[in-house]
Amino acid sequence: METGLRVLLLTALLAALPGCASWRHKGSPPPGTQGATAAQSPDEAPPRVVEPEVARREIKVPKIRSSNIELGLYYGELSIEDFGAHPVSGITAAYHITEDFFFQAEVGRAKAGRTSFEVLGGGIQLLTDSERQFTYYDLSLGYNFLPGEAFLGRGLAMTSAFYLLGGFGGTDFAGDTKFTVNFGAGYRVVPIDWMAVHVTVQDRVFQTSLLGTTKLTNNLEARLGVTVFF
Amino acid sequence: MITRAREWALAGLLLLAGSCAPAVSAARDYLQLFVTEPYLELHTGPGRGYPVFHVVPRDASVDVLFRRTDWFKVRTERGIEGWASQADMLKTVLADGSPFRYPLGDRAGFTAHRWEMGIFAGQYGAATLVSGYAAVSFNSQLQIEAAVGNFLGKFTNGVIGDIGLAHVILPEARLSPFLTLGVGLVHTEPKATLVQPSDRTEQSAYVGGGLRYYLTRRFFLRAEYKAHYIFTKRNANEEADEWKLGFAFFY
Repeated sequence: METGLRVLLLTALLAALPGCASWRHKGSPPPGTQGATAAQSPDEAPPRVVEPEVARREIKVPKIRSSNIELGLYYGELSIEDFGAHPVSGITAAYHITEDFFFQAEVGRAKAGRTSFEVLGGGIQLLTDSERQFTYYDLSLGYNFLPGEAFLGRGLAMTSAFYLLGGFGGTDFAGDTKFTVNFGAGYRVVPIDWMAVHVTVQDRVFQTSLLGTTKLTNNLEARLGVTVFF
Repeated sequence: MITRAREWALAGLLLLAGSCAPAVSAARDYLQLFVTEPYLELHTGPGRGYPVFHVVPRDASVDVLFRRTDWFKVRTERGIEGWASQADMLKTVLADGSPFRYPLGDRAGFTAHRWEMGIFAGQYGAATLVSGYAAVSFNSQLQIEAAVGNFLGKFTNGVIGDIGLAHVILPEARLSPFLTLGVGLVHTEPKATLVQPSDRTEQSAYVGGGLRYYLTRRFFLRAEYKAHYIFTKRNANEEADEWKLGFAFFY
C-alpha cells in the first residue's frame, strides 16, 4: 500500500516536472528545444528560411529655431523741456509676439543743459551736475503697420515697416523719479535676417514742478538704432 | 569717456554675437517639408502685408531655416529663400507623409502653457506703479511667478520685488480668475520733505487675486489686486494695496 502511494506520488511529480520546466521557460524557450517542439507539433507554421530584418525608420524632426528677440543700441538727440536738446544713448530689448505686436523695454540716458534762466542769470545753478543726468526706462507695446520694402539701387531690396509705440515707465531727473508716459513711431529696415536699423521718434511726458509751477513736460527724442535678432 | 568705451564694447559684442549666430546655424540640419496644396506662397517678409514673390509647386520641398512670430523662413530646392505663413505651413507634410504640426498660440495654449510674461500699470498705495512679471507653470492651475515693480509717488518712490505662487481657477475658461500668495521686498525712498527721509528695505508678504482674459493668439489681459503686509522695524506694520492692469503673453 505504501509502495503504491509512493509510485503515485512519483508519477505525479514526474508529470509536474515538465510542466515546471515549460513554466520556467515560458518567455523564451531554449534554442535547442525549438526544433523538437516544432517537430512535435506539425500544426504550427514551418520555420522561416529568411528572417526579414525590417527596422522601423526613425525620422528625426529637426527643431525649428525661433528668432523673436531683438536686442540693440541707439544714439540720438533728446530735447529736455526747458533744458535744451542733448545727445541720448540707450539700449533696447524687444520680443515679437505676433507679426503685428511686440513688447519693448528701453533704458536711455542724456545729460541736460542749462535753462534760459540759468544762462541769463549769470552764476545761478538750478541743479547739481548729477541731478542733470536724465535717465529713463520704459515698457512699451509696439504695433507694426505699413509693411513694405526699401530699395537700394536695382539689386537690393530690404523689408521695412513702420511701427507705433506706446507705453509707460519712469524718468530719473533733477533728483526725483517721475512716472512717465511715452508714445511715438519708428521705421525699421531689415537688411539681413538677423539685423535691423531703426529710426525712432518718441515723446516722453511727465509731470514736474521743478520751475515753480506744476506742469506736464514733453521731451521729444529722435534717434537711430541698430538691433540684432536672436 | 569710460561709459562711451563701454557702450562701444557692448555694441561690438552684440554684433559679434549676431554674426556668429548664422555661422552656427549653417551647420544645422533643417526640417524638410513637402507641399501638398497646389502651391505654397513665399512672401518677402514675415507678415501678411509683404508681397508674394515666389510660389513653390505641389510635391516640391522646402527647408525650414527659422521662425519669426507666426512666419517661417524657408529655402526651396532651387535655393530661393522666402517667408511662408504658419497657416500655409500647416498644410505641408513631413518626409514620411505625416502632417506638419506646430503649436499655435490659441485657447488650448492659454489653458496649458509653460511660460508667461507681462507688463502692468497701476497703483501701489497712493503711488503710480509700473510693473512686469514672469511666471513658470507646473500644470494648468499652479504657477510660480516673480514680479518687479517701480512705484512713483508724491512723497515716496521705491521698488518692489515679489515671488509667490498663483493658483488659476477654471484655466480652460476665457475669463479665468486666480489667487496669489507670496513674499517680497520693498525698497522705499521717501522724498526729502518727509520727517523720516532715510531709505529702507523691508520684507513683505502678500495675498491677492485677479482675472485673466484671453484676447487672441498668445495675448491675454491680466488684472490683479495684491494686499501687501510690510514688516517694518517701527512700532506698527504697514499695509499697502496694489491694483494693476496689463498685457501678458504666453509661450
